[in-house]
Amino acid sequence: MELNPGLKTPSTGVGLVHVRAVGSNDTLHFLFCSQGAPALILVHTNSSFSYVHIDWDAVLAGNFSGSLKVLPESSVQFSSAVVLTRLWEYDDVNDTGDPQDPFSFFPPYELQDFSWNDLNTTIDLAKLSATLCGRNNSNTFRNGSLCLAFSAFGSKGRDAIWPGLLHNANSSKLRIWLDDVLPRSNQSRFALELQTVSSAKQRDHVDVLKSIDDEYTPSIFKVSQWVSSPGNESSEILGYTQWKPVAYRSAQPKFEDATPCRHSNPVLLSQLPPSGWVKAFFEDGLQMSALNLTFSIAGDPFYNTTNYLSWSVLVGLGVPPQDSFSPLVMTIMAVGLGTPLALILFGGVFACIFKRGQQPQGYEPIN
Amino acid sequence: MAGLEEEDYLITEGDSLSGHDNNARARTMPAICDPSHLLHRIVVLVFMCFLGFGSYFCYDNPAALQTQVMQDMQVNTSGFMQLYAWYSWPNVVLCFLGGFLLDRVFGIRLGTIIFGSFVFVGQIIFASGALAGYFWLMEAGRFVFGIGGESLAVAQNTYAVNWFKGKELNLVFGLQLSMARLGSTVNMNIMGWVYDHIKDFMDSAGHTTLGISLMIAASTCLFSLMCAVMLGYLDRRAERILNKEAGKTGEVIKLTDVKDFPLQLWLIFLICVSYYVAIFPFIGLGQVFFIEKFDFSPAQARAVNSIVYIISAPASPVLGFIVDKTGKNVLWVACAIVATLGAHMMLAFSFWNPWIAMCLMGVAYSLLACALWPMVAFVVPEHQLGTAYGFMQSIQNLGLALIAMAAGSILDNKGYLILEVFFCACICMALIAAVMLYFVDLLRGGELNLSSSARARLLKNDSPHSE
Repeated sequence: MELNPGLKTPSTGVGLVHVRAVGSNDTLHFLFCSQGAPALILVHTNSSFSYVHIDWDAVLAGNFSGSLKVLPESSVQFSSAVVLTRLWEYDDVNDTGDPQDPFSFFPPYELQDFSWNDLNTTIDLAKLSATLCGRNNSNTFRNGSLCLAFSAFGSKGRDAIWPGLLHNANSSKLRIWLDDVLPRSNQSRFALELQTVSSAKQRDHVDVLKSIDDEYTPSIFKVSQWVSSPGNESSEILGYTQWKPVAYRSAQPKFEDATPCRHSNPVLLSQLPPSGWVKAFFEDGLQMSALNLTFSIAGDPFYNTTNYLSWSVLVGLGVPPQDSFSPLVMTIMAVGLGTPLALILFGGVFACIFKRGQQPQGYEPIN
Repeated sequence: MAGLEEEDYLITEGDSLSGHDNNARARTMPAICDPSHLLHRIVVLVFMCFLGFGSYFCYDNPAALQTQVMQDMQVNTSGFMQLYAWYSWPNVVLCFLGGFLLDRVFGIRLGTIIFGSFVFVGQIIFASGALAGYFWLMEAGRFVFGIGGESLAVAQNTYAVNWFKGKELNLVFGLQLSMARLGSTVNMNIMGWVYDHIKDFMDSAGHTTLGISLMIAASTCLFSLMCAVMLGYLDRRAERILNKEAGKTGEVIKLTDVKDFPLQLWLIFLICVSYYVAIFPFIGLGQVFFIEKFDFSPAQARAVNSIVYIISAPASPVLGFIVDKTGKNVLWVACAIVATLGAHMMLAFSFWNPWIAMCLMGVAYSLLACALWPMVAFVVPEHQLGTAYGFMQSIQNLGLALIAMAAGSILDNKGYLILEVFFCACICMALIAAVMLYFVDLLRGGELNLSSSARARLLKNDSPHSE
């Protein structure tokens, strides 16, 4: 993990965190950056020696286009980016949780116009994480901020904090929270616009998978994932964006702080997202899409009850991780079902020996 | 023995409440007024059935309004489940005392009215707590409500025995049970609707809306209290006309009996506790579970959540009949437990339509009730029956109180899957106990698992000894 790879003299306002995950014959690059709208770029190369090259002179001169490369270029298998572009706020007067009426929207916060904190101070090399907080100069963000915490992972695991997404070394996580922002109405709810770029074909819909396992995200039985596959409707998955359809209204999420989140269908875009580094890496002509995530539903408390909202998303390469039963569940069920069965068997044998000839087969029908 | 002061008390009580001058009645009366006539008994039966309606209706108020309670009172699931725990706490003790209080202290008539008042007042406190926005007051209300609730059921049974013994007693018991289930079902399906209407009327949701809805629910308790008063009056009138005695629960509780309880009885207790804790707290939390996991609408969720009670109403008499005819109670109990385990596992590990699992659970629940409770009579002598049943209900309530609290916090911290697995574990515990009961009974040569024909033979050979 490194900040601003290759930059000789420290400079503010161009923060870029680079995480390299080296495998036996491939390398994954995660780039988390804030020039313009905050973005996360993922690159998969088939060489263990690929590296990030940045033309800092061009960047510092404000000329991003083509200045970020992963070399050797021929090793790049797949690349994609997720960019947070807008924060929507709407006045949910009728408490529907469904922003249909365009007039209920306030002017959106354009995240490319936000001023972002320096990444430098928030980098945690041990945890492979960095946090980016930003605000604009309007009144509503006087005390508030929109923050993104980026984490990469060395191994399989999951967060202790809800939604406790299962992650592996091929994935990175963004936790996005909106803290203490002054809502512009008493019935304000928020939505987030996400834009993506992918060198492969990104599905035109988000798959919502059902999962019976809600151990790590209580009461949430669904996983949403939006995947990229090579070209035609191939089942091979190159990259994904995965999240649980839930947001939380407090920093230390509790059961009652959960609020559902819904997504719109992805739409195709014609130009690159407004992020300097994304423009530096990607060229026009790739597939670009956007979708909105709407937080909370009818009847749920409005933003101003806690002035906090957080949502997590996993962005990764390869096949998305899938939940499986925890050892706890397996153990309880095995012991719970095994003990009576064992009792029936041993008890049956025991009873047979002691009461031979009387009721030897009496135990069978219980099972 | 308890006679004199009880009688005096009741006469004044009855007169002041009824306000009729009974002595002026003509000697010849129409059938409906004649206590020895069937028609009159049917009138009494109606009052008897509605006696418990209010308490059963209000017992599951929290379950029917789970989301509303949690949102309006801003409590989490463990807080919410406290409402059930507080109901169970007084009954840990009152299961022993209820019968004693009815027989020796208040007498059946006054006792019924007193317990009915507890239920009514408890519900009023409960509703006031919501109205004022104090959750602790709601808990206090549930506690008071609990004091009356179970004892009222004992009183109801005593009345039934007193009026219908040797006549239509089994039918009456069945009807009362169905009535109880009806109360729960109506509550489950109607309270959400009531709340919504109050919300529309008030133009906002909040603890006041909740309070008003619960106050409306309290009217059922008032209705039941009026039934208690009417029953007291009719019973006293019948006593004077027919010179019969006031009913007794006949329960004699001697705690020293506990040391004589055989191993089989303890196993039956274990089955009882570990089975019921996987049913009632589950139903208390069910509505939101069906909404969240199976994407049910609130109305559908309420319907599927109440199906256990709905099935139990008609199934209990039928299954009771089958168990009576076939015997082999332990086997039936084991079947019921296995079926419930299957139902819980379906809910935990699949997305199959929960109607299947809940219907299965409904049948299993009724079957277990029919096969389990009578077993107590086979393993303890008759004079210890009261103690045994009291003890059984007491630890059942203890289990319910503890597990309700545990279930709430498991859900808050670990989610529904672990909660369901926890319930499965409880059911497995019951299954283990049932299997052990089978073998213990087999080795000790007990009669728990005999077929009914074998039991009849045994009864013939050894009539004075067996129950």
